[in-house]
This record gives sequence, C-alpha cells and structure tokens, in this order.
Amino acid sequence: MKYWKDRLPAVLLNLLGLTALSLFLLASSSAAGTVLLIAAIWLGVLAAWLAVGCLLERRRMDSLLSQAEQLEERYLLPEVLPPPMTAEESVYRRLMQMAEKSMLEKIAAVQRENKAYREYIEQWIHEIKTPITAAKLLCENNRSGQSREMLAQLESITHYTEQALYYARSEHTEKDSLIREIQLEDVVHQAIAENKYLLRQQQVEILVEEMPDVVYTDDKSLCFILNQLIGNAVKYRSSSPRLRFAAQTEPGQVHLLVEDNGLGIPAADLPRVFEKGFTGQNGRAVHSSTGIGLYLCKQLCEKLDIGLEIHSREGTGTTVRLTFTVNDYITGVQG
Amino acid sequence: MPYKILIVEDDPVIRQQLQLLLSGSGYETGAVTDFGAALSQLKAFAPHLILLDIGLPGASGFELCSQIRAFSQVPIVFVTSSNTDLDELNSILLGGDAFITKPYHPAILLAKIASLLRRAYPAAGEDALCWKEAVLHPESGRLEYQGQTVELTRNEQKILYYLFRHAGTICSRADLVDFLWDNQLYIDDNALSVHISRIREKLASIGLTDFIQTKHRQGYLI
Repeated sequence: MKYWKDRLPAVLLNLLGLTALSLFLLASSSAAGTVLLIAAIWLGVLAAWLAVGCLLERRRMDSLLSQAEQLEERYLLPEVLPPPMTAEESVYRRLMQMAEKSMLEKIAAVQRENKAYREYIEQWIHEIKTPITAAKLLCENNRSGQSREMLAQLESITHYTEQALYYARSEHTEKDSLIREIQLEDVVHQAIAENKYLLRQQQVEILVEEMPDVVYTDDKSLCFILNQLIGNAVKYRSSSPRLRFAAQTEPGQVHLLVEDNGLGIPAADLPRVFEKGFTGQNGRAVHSSTGIGLYLCKQLCEKLDIGLEIHSREGTGTTVRLTFTVNDYITGVQG
Repeated sequence: MPYKILIVEDDPVIRQQLQLLLSGSGYETGAVTDFGAALSQLKAFAPHLILLDIGLPGASGFELCSQIRAFSQVPIVFVTSSNTDLDELNSILLGGDAFITKPYHPAILLAKIASLLRRAYPAAGEDALCWKEAVLHPESGRLEYQGQTVELTRNEQKILYYLFRHAGTICSRADLVDFLWDNQLYIDDNALSVHISRIREKLASIGLTDFIQTKHRQGYLI
C-alpha cells in the first residue's frame, strides 16, 4: 500500500501528461482512434513498469528483512547488507553505519565500566575478609556473652560477603571449579561449624544423620550452598527451630536433604524461589531478603550438575534436596 | 614438648591474635616479621607447621612455599583471603597441605592444624588423662577409678575430655558447649545438663561421687 502511495506522484504526472497530449492531439485534429491507441500504449507501458517494479522491490525488501531476522546481533546490520543501489540508499547506509559505530562505542564503554566495577567488587571482598578474620580472632580470644553475639553477627556478615562474591562471579562462567572426592558428612559439619554462633544464638536444634556417602563436587561451592540454606533456615525459623541433615542413596544418585521446621514457603511463591531478585511473601515479611541466595544456589548447582529441588508447606517447614550423580566411570577408574 | 607453629602473615592484628589463639591451645608460636628474611627466620625457628598467607609484601606465599619445599617437608597450611580455584590448585601443586580461606572460623583452623600435626607426626596416641586418681582413656572411651572401669558414650567422653583438659579450673557451660560444637556434637544448654547428670550417675556406680562440681552461674569444676 505504502509502495503505491510512494508511486502516486509519478502516476499522476503520467496521467497529466497523457491528458495534455490527448488534448493537444485532439486540438491539432488527429483522429480519435489514433489518440486512443497512443493513450492505451502509454497506459500499458506505465502499468507494466509499475508491476515489475513492485515485484522486484518486494523481493528485494523481503530478502533484506529475512537477512535481518537471521542475524543475531542486529546492530551489526550495516555490515552484512548488500551494497546500496541508489544514491538515496547510500545515504541511509551511511546513517546506519554512523549509528552502529556510536552504539558499539557505547557498548564497549559500558562493558569496560562493568568489568572494572566487578573487579573492584572482587578486590573489595578480598580486602574485607582480613578485618573480618581479625575481628573473629579477637572475639575468639576474648570470649564472653557479648563476643558470642558479635561472632553470630560476623557470621551473618560473612554470609553476605560470600553472596556478593559469588554474585560478582556468577556473571562470567569461565572460572572453573575444582571437582574432587569429598565426604558428604565433612561438608555438612563444616557448614554447621561456619554457622556455629548464629545457630546457637537462635537455639536451633541440629540433627545430622549418618552419611557414609562420598560425592564428587567442588566442596567450596557446596559449602556456600549449605551456608545459604542454613542462613535461610535461621531467617525463616519458627519458635523452636530444628534443622536436620540426612542423606539418601539410590543407584547412581546420592541425595542430601536439608530439612527445617520453619515458616515454609507459600505454594504460590514456590515455583519462583530460584528467580533472581524474587523475595515472595516471606521475604517481604522479614525485610532483609535480597532474593539472591537461592538464585545463586540454583546457578551453582546447574554449573556443578547438582539437582536442586525445594519442597515446602506453609507452616510446616521446608526441605531442600540436593541430588548428586555418582558417576560410575569415576569410581571405575579409581578402582 | 609443644608443637611449634610459625605464622607468616602480614596483617599485624591477625598475626598477634593468631599467636594468642594458638598459644592458648597449647602450641608454641613464632611469627615472621621481616618478610625479606623469612627463610632464615624459618630455619632458626624450625617449626612443626607453617601458616602461610599468600598475599605478602615481597615474595608471595607461593614463592615462599616452593622455596621451603626445596629443603623441608614441614606441613604448610595456606591461609588466604583469595579463594579462587586457581590459587587453591597452585597451593596443592606447590606442596601445600591445606588451604583455608579467610574469614575462617578459628575452631576450623585449630581442627585442621591438629589433624595435620597428627598425620605428620604420628606420635604415640592420645595419652590417658589423669586427675584425682581418676584416669580417662580417650582411646578406648573408658574411665578408670581405683581398679574399676566404666564405659562412656562418645558424647560423654567428649564432655569429660574437656573437663579433664581443664582440670582444676571452672569451665563455663558456654565454653563447654562451644567445644562440643567444634567436635560435631550439637547440643544446647539443657541437653548438656542431661549429659552431665548421666555422667555423674555412671561415675557414682564406680564409687566416684562429687567428682564434677557445679559452680552456680559459673560452670563445672573437677
């Protein structure tokens, strides 16, 4: 439609010319038949020109559009388009190239800024660890009621610090993890030890079932995940909190269950708990929820090929199930 | 003879507090203060174990580690605030025995040190602890008094072990619970009271009465 509208002046001009010519011929006493013939030929040529033009143009435009569709980074479009055919097109192409260039410069600047910021955050986290360690040692060497409270606070600080570090790193995945054979029980005890004062301050009852299982994974990441889960269990606790760790073995799989009797997660919120920034009803009630902890757990689990499921009933508690695949060939090779 | 531990750490507060913590746990400590002459200080001190920071002024902990490994197999624990996997891999490749990241829990650090020392210097097992004619055998989990013995559960053994190690001083309940948590026994104050009264019954059965005294608002004393 637009195409025909664009062609309207040319068509009108032709019709005007035709009318003028016919009038002139009629005035100079030409036969009406000759005038009609000339008019018919003129109109025929005009129609053919318009039709062929329309067809060719449509084909060209369709191919351009489909090229653009196929391109993943569309801002690079000016680089892949066929050379311009008319003077007008070359001007538009130059305009597009200018837009592309300024866009690329902007992207590069943002990326640089982003990278510098992330590096600064990582650096900052490394720096903050020294004073935290010093504070922990100071409290440990001067034990009292207050220093225990302080240590519980320091454990919270450590949680948030670790979270920030993993968040800063989660964006670039090239950092590989160190997979090794670990005793499930050791990691669980380590995670409890890292939250000792927090758990004792909130008088959380701890149950650790027998776990003879060995899994192959990155113990630091696993410990981070358990720390986040323990942190959540403490944050969303009930009046007499209890936390239970247990393992289940199935052929080819080991499950680690982390079970609390806390507030539980409303069924409506459950499908979205792993979303970045999702806080849900509980999060809004507690006011200190970032919506990042479980998101990071999910990310790490996907990276490490650990299954992560969460079951919960409001008012009864939450069970998180981590599933490790026991690779036959790893044990096979080690004999 | 107490084990000697050398601390190579550039933060003065951490260095000082680590020394306090370690000497409180019965180790003899030394600290490198001149990082240019770390190796000669190390040789002079002849430690049983080294706590090594990675980020040091001058030579990094990695360089120091490979230099130490050239002449000694002493256990080395890397203690660092960088927890990239690359650093950990490096520390293993260079002959480090353990890798602990800041901010660590002092209890975890102490447990790591104890287990490394046990592995590196397999001296005769834990000695029997003796106090007021009562003898605790941590190996077999038995308590002996005037020729009679009584079997202890793992938990009771841990509680008694702590009391024997601090014999003659008042042990606060909180400290005792701290120790038990560090040994993977997660009990609260009430459960501790239950355990203590069970231990008292057991001790009474072999004629050992009033062995554990309760100091009101302070703790327990043997």
